[in-house]
Amino acid sequence: MKPLALLLAVVFFVLGGLYGFGTINFLTKSGTEHSHHVSHLVLCWVLALLCLIWYRFQSNPAR
Amino acid sequence: MTDLQALILALLQGVSELFPVSSLGHTILVPALLHWTNVDRSNPTFLAFVVVLHLGTALALIAYYRARWWSIARALFTSLVRGRISQDRDERIGWLLVVGTIPVGILGVLFEQPVRALFGSPAPAALFLAFNGLVMFAGEGLRRRQLADPARADRPIEHMNFAQSVLVGIAQSFALLPGISRSGASMVAGLLCDLDHEDAAEFSFLLATPVIFAAALLETRYLVAPDTHVVLFQAIAGGVAAAIAAYCSVAFLMRYFKTNDLRPFGWYCVIVGVGCFILSKRGLLS
Repeated sequence: MKPLALLLAVVFFVLGGLYGFGTINFLTKSGTEHSHHVSHLVLCWVLALLCLIWYRFQSNPAR
Repeated sequence: MTDLQALILALLQGVSELFPVSSLGHTILVPALLHWTNVDRSNPTFLAFVVVLHLGTALALIAYYRARWWSIARALFTSLVRGRISQDRDERIGWLLVVGTIPVGILGVLFEQPVRALFGSPAPAALFLAFNGLVMFAGEGLRRRQLADPARADRPIEHMNFAQSVLVGIAQSFALLPGISRSGASMVAGLLCDLDHEDAAEFSFLLATPVIFAAALLETRYLVAPDTHVVLFQAIAGGVAAAIAAYCSVAFLMRYFKTNDLRPFGWYCVIVGVGCFILSKRGLLS
């Protein structure tokens, strides 16, 4: 599960960046509204952070 | 929007956000019932006003549960450093809240705007409010059936598992629909996960806090909209009123759910929902 957690973290981080730069508009209110992209960016980066936390919990040898 | 309208909306928001009766549904139905045609819900100044009301509500929840949030934050930090989740109560509750917030975060960001555009009018809000009441009756019925089963017993919040927390989070996501109550849906889900009413209410309020706060923070752009100064006084006074109303509401509800259940709120939702739906079909809601 460790590689999956890391992979998902990278995917969400990149996805957030793409939303932030307006490269992708999938499931946004409109293709041009910047503020709506910000919420997608924040969501993706929060999910990336949670994946890193998941990775951290998987990494503990004492587990 | 007049000062009186702003005050009524603020008190309505503070109370109905935490009572299981849908704040969004009420902020659609009450202006329609009172024929407040001057209240434009899509106006940036009104949205700025709503942002401050949500901030006030979230701050009231944080203030009420300040000791609990402090211990949860410390426990989360400790477990992150340790790299393992222990059986500590606050640690378990903290991670249950994190996991339970994920569904509503994803669904809220992706679907909030289209859902509100589709159902943000009085008739659907009234129907969903009546449905919300039926859900509470169904939840209470299922809980009574559970209590009759000797193999099942109430358990504390920290004994929930992560799947159950996700289930409560998904239930909370239904509050994107105007008329469906965030606290009502998550409380019913909590009851079905073997929490008692008091614990279900507490978990629901704890779970709602980061969601309301994050939703308000993501909408802060409306606070710097060009005409925001027009509603500055109303927004500040409204935010304070919403915070006081929310604090009193959560204090009342936590005491109420020690000995009572969701059925009175179910009756209220069914009666008001059906009544408003009939009025909207007769063209009496503006």
